[in-house]
Amino acid sequence: MTADALLAELARVADALGPAVEPPGTERLLSSLAETARRLFGARACSLALLSDDGSELVYTTASGQGADAVTGMRMPAGRGVAGWVVQSGQPVAVSDVRADPRFAPDVAEATGYVPQSIVAAPVVSEGDVLGVLSVLDRDAARPGADADLLLLQVFCDQAAIAVEGARAFGRVAQVLLGALSSAADADTDLAAALAGAARSGSAGRDERQLRDLAALFARLSRAEPDAQRLALDVVTDVLAYVERRGSRRPGG
Amino acid sequence: MPVHARGIDGEWAFAGATGVGVDVAVVDSGIDAAHPQVGAVASSVAFAWDRERREVVPDDRAGDLFGHGTACAGVIRRVAPQCRLHSVRVLGEHLLGKGEVFATGLRHAIASGARVINLSLSTGKTDFFGTFHEIADEAAFAGVVLVCAVSNVPGPSYPSQFSAVVSVAANDGTGPFDLDCNPEPPVEFGAPGIDVTVPWLDGSTVVTTGNSFAAPHVTGLVALLLSKHPHLTPYEVKAVLRAVSRNAVPPGA
Repeated sequence: MTADALLAELARVADALGPAVEPPGTERLLSSLAETARRLFGARACSLALLSDDGSELVYTTASGQGADAVTGMRMPAGRGVAGWVVQSGQPVAVSDVRADPRFAPDVAEATGYVPQSIVAAPVVSEGDVLGVLSVLDRDAARPGADADLLLLQVFCDQAAIAVEGARAFGRVAQVLLGALSSAADADTDLAAALAGAARSGSAGRDERQLRDLAALFARLSRAEPDAQRLALDVVTDVLAYVERRGSRRPGG
Repeated sequence: MPVHARGIDGEWAFAGATGVGVDVAVVDSGIDAAHPQVGAVASSVAFAWDRERREVVPDDRAGDLFGHGTACAGVIRRVAPQCRLHSVRVLGEHLLGKGEVFATGLRHAIASGARVINLSLSTGKTDFFGTFHEIADEAAFAGVVLVCAVSNVPGPSYPSQFSAVVSVAANDGTGPFDLDCNPEPPVEFGAPGIDVTVPWLDGSTVVTTGNSFAAPHVTGLVALLLSKHPHLTPYEVKAVLRAVSRNAVPPGA
């Protein structure tokens, strides 16, 4: 299979995945979830943190409200604080009246300069696996019953779990795409080895994200105007050919 | 010695009881023994997952990583001031091997001589159904009462959904004897768990809500009961708890 025929085929496969599972859609959905939860609870902030692949860190992927910019992208040890306990125990919890004690969630408080008075946090669970934690900070104290809000927050967590699962499935499909690309590329080339390697390592967090982005690019490419498509394919083909030539010009090779 | 329902009331069960002589284990995030609302902790062990050896190993760090185990211990101490508290830490820095660590810690607690064990955590992993079913039976036959917080997360929850354990959700009661029984299991009992003031890290106190704070109320009541009536089996304990519930129908009514 020639490189451009292969890429065209990949683009068709990627397109068949549909825009519904395209990662930017997931991010928008999660942002909207955080924003909706924040408003519903009359809260100062709402954030979603997902566990890293080795389960040792919580990565704040989405936030709304006070400190949102500072908290987004933050990585926290999963063995600390209220959010840590929620993911470890799988139990939701509401803590109020923390008496402005910054030790309560020290890292977040330091990074955002915002120390909450109260937290309602619930686990994001899919098929028995805890994926992360959804936290609502300083909900409207006039709202009745933290217990009712705990149950309500769980509904948002279920939606977040579905969105995250969908995005991860998309990442796995991207891995399959790369696998197909590597097996279709001429065997024994460095390019084939590199692609196979990329497909194999796709389960690691950052790689998976890149794969997802790559698959999304394929999908966008397949929806572009014919001229733009041809140009993009030419560029990709030439880049691949260049990389392949460079790769084979190793010492002794 | 069989217990007749007639004559079983709060007076018979708890009057004058302090929990003296009863060993109570808290399987959670550890206990901060320095907290004035917790008092003496008779023993502390911790288990963790060794990523390299891929097995459960003892962990030598002391204390409470999250505050939650300390909170549970504080509730138990308040209800049963003279019981002997034992800490079994199974929550640590990451989620790898969580089910195995949890099972190891629970087995340790059952074998340690504790008569009642507080579990404010559970697992939803179906792989662990058999393991925890077996452990729940072991505990029941060994005369050890497992008190489990009910999970708010939909789906399976082990061991809290098993009939051999005492499962507890939060009610809006405020006193230690504000116990309700639920005629529709698997949630069997309700105990105070809404806006409860509990000890937390570094000598602080917080106001919390969650089923995980209701369970230690019942754990404390069981410690009281066993200090007065040490020969009761777990199923007899459960029958007494039903009989002393606020919504129980008195004999002959």
